[in-house]
Amino acid sequence: MNEVCFKNLDQKDPWSLKTYEANGGYSVWRKILKGELTPEQIIDELKTSGLRGRGGAGFPTGLKWSFMPRNADMQKYVVCNSDEGEPGTCKDRDILRYNPHSVIEGMAIGGFVMNATKGYNYIRGEFMEPFYRFEDALKEAYAAGLLGENLDGSSVSFDLYAHLGAGAYICGEETALLESLEGKKGQPRFKPPFPANIGLFGMPTTINNTESFASVPDILANGGQWFADIGVENSGGCKLFSVTGHVNEPANFEVPMGLPFKDLLEMAGGIREGRTLKAVIPGGSSTPVLTAEAAMAMTMDYDGIEKAGSMLGAGSVIIMDDSTCMVETLTRLAHFYYDESCGQCTPCREGTGWLYRVLKRIMDGNGKADDIDLLMGVQDKIMGNTICALGDAAAMPVESFLRCFREEFEYYIEHGKSMVKG
Amino acid sequence: MISTKAKKQIDAWVAKYPEGRQSSAVMEALKIVQAENDNSLTSDSIQAVADYLDMPGIAAAEVATFYENYNHKPVGKYTIRFCHNISCMLNGADDLIAHLEKKIGVKTGDVTPDGLVNVKKVECLGACVGAPMFQIGDQYYENLTADKIDEIVDGLK
Amino acid sequence: MADIEIEIDGNVVNAKAGEMLIAVTDREGISVPRFCYHKKLSIAANCRMCLVDVEGAPKPQPACSTPIADGMKIHTQNEKAKASQKAVMEFLLINHPLDCPICDQGGECELQDVAMDYGSDVSRFTEGKRIVADSDIGALIQTDMTRCIHCTRCVRFGAEVAGIMEMGGTGRGEDMKIEPFLEEGIQSELSGNMIDVCPVGALTSKPFRYELRSWQMNAVSNIARHDLVGSSIYTQTYKGKVKRIVAKDNESVNETWISDRDRFSYEGLSHENRLLAPQIKVEGKWQEVEWNVALDFALRGLANNVFNARQADQLGALASNTATLEEFHLLQKILREVGSENIDHRLNIKDLNNAISLESNIKLAGLEGVDHALVIGSNLRLEQPMISHRLRKANLSGASVDVINAMAFDFNYRLNSENIIPPHQTAATLAGVLKSVLQSAQAEIPEYLSDIEVSDVATQLANKLSDSDNSVIVLGEHVINNPQASSIANLINEIAQQTNSTTLNLSASGNSTAANLSCFVPGKGGLDVNAMLAADLKAYILLDVYPQYDFHNSVQAVESLSNDDTFVISLNSFKDDAVAQYSNVLLPIASFYETSGSHVNVEGKVQSFSAAVNAPSDAKPAWKVLKVLADLLELPGFHYADSTQVTTEVMHQSHKQHVHDESIDVKVKRGINIIWQKSPYAVDVLSRHAASLQATKIGQINSASMNKATAKKLEVTQDDKYLGVPVVVSESVANNCVFVNSNHSTGGQS
Ligand SMILES: Cc1cc2nc3c(=O)[nH]c(=O)nc-3n(C[C@H](O)[C@H](O)[C@H](O)COP(=O)(O)O)c2cc1C
Ligand code: SF4
Ligand code: SF4
Ligand code: FES
Ligand code: FES
Repeated sequence: MNEVCFKNLDQKDPWSLKTYEANGGYSVWRKILKGELTPEQIIDELKTSGLRGRGGAGFPTGLKWSFMPRNADMQKYVVCNSDEGEPGTCKDRDILRYNPHSVIEGMAIGGFVMNATKGYNYIRGEFMEPFYRFEDALKEAYAAGLLGENLDGSSVSFDLYAHLGAGAYICGEETALLESLEGKKGQPRFKPPFPANIGLFGMPTTINNTESFASVPDILANGGQWFADIGVENSGGCKLFSVTGHVNEPANFEVPMGLPFKDLLEMAGGIREGRTLKAVIPGGSSTPVLTAEAAMAMTMDYDGIEKAGSMLGAGSVIIMDDSTCMVETLTRLAHFYYDESCGQCTPCREGTGWLYRVLKRIMDGNGKADDIDLLMGVQDKIMGNTICALGDAAAMPVESFLRCFREEFEYYIEHGKSMVKG
Repeated sequence: MISTKAKKQIDAWVAKYPEGRQSSAVMEALKIVQAENDNSLTSDSIQAVADYLDMPGIAAAEVATFYENYNHKPVGKYTIRFCHNISCMLNGADDLIAHLEKKIGVKTGDVTPDGLVNVKKVECLGACVGAPMFQIGDQYYENLTADKIDEIVDGLK
Repeated sequence: MADIEIEIDGNVVNAKAGEMLIAVTDREGISVPRFCYHKKLSIAANCRMCLVDVEGAPKPQPACSTPIADGMKIHTQNEKAKASQKAVMEFLLINHPLDCPICDQGGECELQDVAMDYGSDVSRFTEGKRIVADSDIGALIQTDMTRCIHCTRCVRFGAEVAGIMEMGGTGRGEDMKIEPFLEEGIQSELSGNMIDVCPVGALTSKPFRYELRSWQMNAVSNIARHDLVGSSIYTQTYKGKVKRIVAKDNESVNETWISDRDRFSYEGLSHENRLLAPQIKVEGKWQEVEWNVALDFALRGLANNVFNARQADQLGALASNTATLEEFHLLQKILREVGSENIDHRLNIKDLNNAISLESNIKLAGLEGVDHALVIGSNLRLEQPMISHRLRKANLSGASVDVINAMAFDFNYRLNSENIIPPHQTAATLAGVLKSVLQSAQAEIPEYLSDIEVSDVATQLANKLSDSDNSVIVLGEHVINNPQASSIANLINEIAQQTNSTTLNLSASGNSTAANLSCFVPGKGGLDVNAMLAADLKAYILLDVYPQYDFHNSVQAVESLSNDDTFVISLNSFKDDAVAQYSNVLLPIASFYETSGSHVNVEGKVQSFSAAVNAPSDAKPAWKVLKVLADLLELPGFHYADSTQVTTEVMHQSHKQHVHDESIDVKVKRGINIIWQKSPYAVDVLSRHAASLQATKIGQINSASMNKATAKKLEVTQDDKYLGVPVVVSESVANNCVFVNSNHSTGGQS
């Protein structure tokens, strides 16, 4: 446990440059500055490692980096996505607070690989403590000659800046994030063109999640195979899981991919006293909910979770015990998407409000017999029809809650009150 | 409209972006100006920011109304931003919000008569392992209980 | 881009790789529903109405933003495509008021049209519809934002075409609201196009509000005559009245846009000031009479004052620049047939021996392709909105624009340099530019340039012109009464030749190109307008002339025309006190859209139009009045059945090139120079009577701007009146210059 992003966690001032370097930090970057590593070697190692994007979509990082037109004669950018806002997710905050240099080194390496001399870390506006930590780390790195122009006399340059959000979940979507970085409202762009061709300020840009970047230095220090071996087939390495909800010791755990869910549950102290597991959302609020039974049989890796009927997403494991009213929970999630829809595309703008209002009406005791079909119909009409995945993210919980816990909804509609809470 | 001090702060942000891309600093500029003006924005202050960054007023207004962290009507000296999303909800946020409202004597959205605090329900603040939690200013307060809330609120001056 | 083959609904279609699918389907006539897509605006892909099924793609793809690739198989109508389209339609309708019966867009609403085809029953939505509060965004556009479908066409129009981002989407999610930021509302001179781009009834024409449904109206293709473009429009009429004007696509002229002036001026047609019946003045009193009586009276007047004494050279003809090509032609023909060369339309020029002569040799569409422009003496946006738009497009795709003006104006793009130069130095500056051009080319420097010092500004302007492959020099209205107007035009001509630049002469607007084409200027032995007035001619035929607005020296003009022994026949579309004072006969004529005829735009394109409605009451098209007058005068060659025969005749008439003074004077003059320009919405009689245009910010421009130093010299301060116009002290004006924007002319002081 805690082998990569969290490996300094229990040391003194884990966030300091001193601690980071004492644990081998910046060794890869220094090798690069000495000319001992080529972009191709790095991409190969990343591909071998099986590292997949930790922001939710799980796209192989090595492959993504290989898409950048590194020889194009224009400014290129690397951008780190620290907008962490998916309900249930709180790992990037801890990486920024406790291991900011790993993000800096990961981004610098990315900059070298993709021939991008500038980077921005987009940190959500509420994360002020992590922001200051990151800014301090930047200062340390600049002072140590690890960032800047023509570093160590080489031809390698990398400047890195922190940018702050101002409260909008949608800015976690990579193209909304770019819009926001350009000082606009965070409305996702349609694709193509992809950021690798037209990204920040119209220039080629690669965006990765905080944890993805933070994983890169250790992968390169220890070799891609080392990382791949930690995990399982198709899911290399270890991953941070934020286990929250009805467990005794909610926390972030960096564990090998493929760990059985029940072991993870145990690490988090198990279900609260006197209660039993009812449901699990394994990857953050946008991923389908699973019944206890499906969850208990699941392993924590991309394929394992998919087999169970959901997605690994950002690794945010939300545990619900038998006291949970699923109607109430879904209503809360529906409110979230309704609240956070950027509003540009019709199905999401109109549909998220519709879903929320129907659920709210059911909660108010005014449910109608055909509301379940209506909800199913509306989510289906949003699904796949929008610019960004927020539309799908709003649809999937509705579909899965209704599929897995239909009787609770029927009960609520019929009796005007919760089957669980009365 | 924008103080010299604020301009200096804004300039520091502008410096992070390429030449001609000063509007990238608009989000921070609005926050800086908001902080100087009783924590809320007016059409005039939004226009002033737009002018300072050489962008259309409506573009700054779009930003100022899109993001959560701007206020367009008076708020308290302290805004308690209480997370009511899933992990916090599962850990009793709703009851604690009710407790807090009772404690300060006003409902979510209203400001206490002395202008000191108001409560705002917000979506997940990315600290779910510390649920239930809220934020005041830059500071997160996690693993809240009724007692802890009382203590924090009593400490607000 | 390579030619590729794709398959749409089972048919093989050729296209270019990378084209957006919707461009292909549009070209092939395959209908794909859409709301946010607009061929002249950037892609937003937000409405999701155009979703189609692309084989191999897991999700439906938006046709507007899916670049095609070889071998793609697309289904626009299969179950998957239809399901998505229906889903989107349902979402669009749940919060839409569905108040089509009372909506101004009813019958021409894209949402309504598409809903007919796709909309299923939306009664499933019972959660309460969204109501959006409206704000007043100005005199021209009515908002009903509850109907808005958030397609952002209006927002993109502002940012991309109008060049000032005025509308925006504030808030987010369901609360997103399309609105302008400030209370002042919308200010752009192109704002009315938002009405056309809005697919629903959220933005509609304010003057038109609640009048009619589109299907009740007749749409007649027409040409707008307020500027040098001659934009294509549809005049929509009902029961003999123009009820609304919308843009008509004409790619090479106005693309798909029109100016607010073109769109809203029609309101003036029904103004109470219309002249409705012929009148004669008998013993100082006006009497309404039948046409034949009036014409008879006119003939007798001419006979008494001119013909009986065989003094044809005592007859003069003057016309405003709004006349049609045919009207100019007939009037000059009458004069020339009776033996007079006293013909002129250049009423606003102080000294016609110092007039501008400069050809235009670039096409409107060509303006988009220039790589550099030098604009001299023009507030282009407000004078020639569509030309300004073309130049803006060139600028956005990389062209640099330099400006020489006497005052800083609001250009809606970034200028390369804005040179604020006193009018008295304009010629000298251009002389410097010419000298610098010649010096770099190591060409001989003519004598008149020998004393000229080449300033840095002149060098920079010169280098830009020399270094560009495709530059244009644009001359605007401000120079017409410059003491060196003619020299300025000649210098421009020289510079253009030396630098291989094209030229665009925008110094006289309206239908002035038609006036020149029909030789509506004095011929050999004839008098120009100023000479006529000075000579106190005995008779005039005046075509839609309004002295306070049209003459440079209106006081002198009224005085001269009011002579007791001067007989004045006035053909007017509107009543006017001064006209009534000096005229002996008033003949009511048709205004814009009430007559057939032709407009000739700045590139020489002759665009003919027919009448959309009849002139009110007894008013008649001027060409008919002139023809009857000619017949009554028993002049030969006036046997026209309709105006197109007149048009054909003009086009075949040999076009006499009048000689002009080629001398160049480059000396800097002393004293204060006044540039007097009519406000943008006061350029012609129809605009002046259009209430809504007058109520806009642009319509209310009325100021004499000058800098502090000039104000001191003139002993005026802010808000005083200078020559009857409120003083605005501003350092954006060049020294020793007063820049007046007023809705009347000077009265001769400047
Ligand atoms: C609605 C929405 C919210 C998202 N939020 C985040 C986020 O907070 N953090 C993040 O890293 N990625 C987020 N993503 C995913 C990003 O779009 C993007 O895939 C990711 O940053 C890529 O980095 P990775 O390849 O390293 O995962 C979000 C996506 C969507 C559709
Ligand atoms: S799916 Fe929702 S959040 Fe995403 S672009 Fe569309 S409206 Fe915005
Ligand atoms: S007002 Fe009209 S054009 Fe503008 S966004 Fe709404 S529907 Fe589209
Ligand atoms: S749910 Fe409350 S902080 Fe995440
Ligand atoms: S027309 Fe394609 S999404 Fe609107």
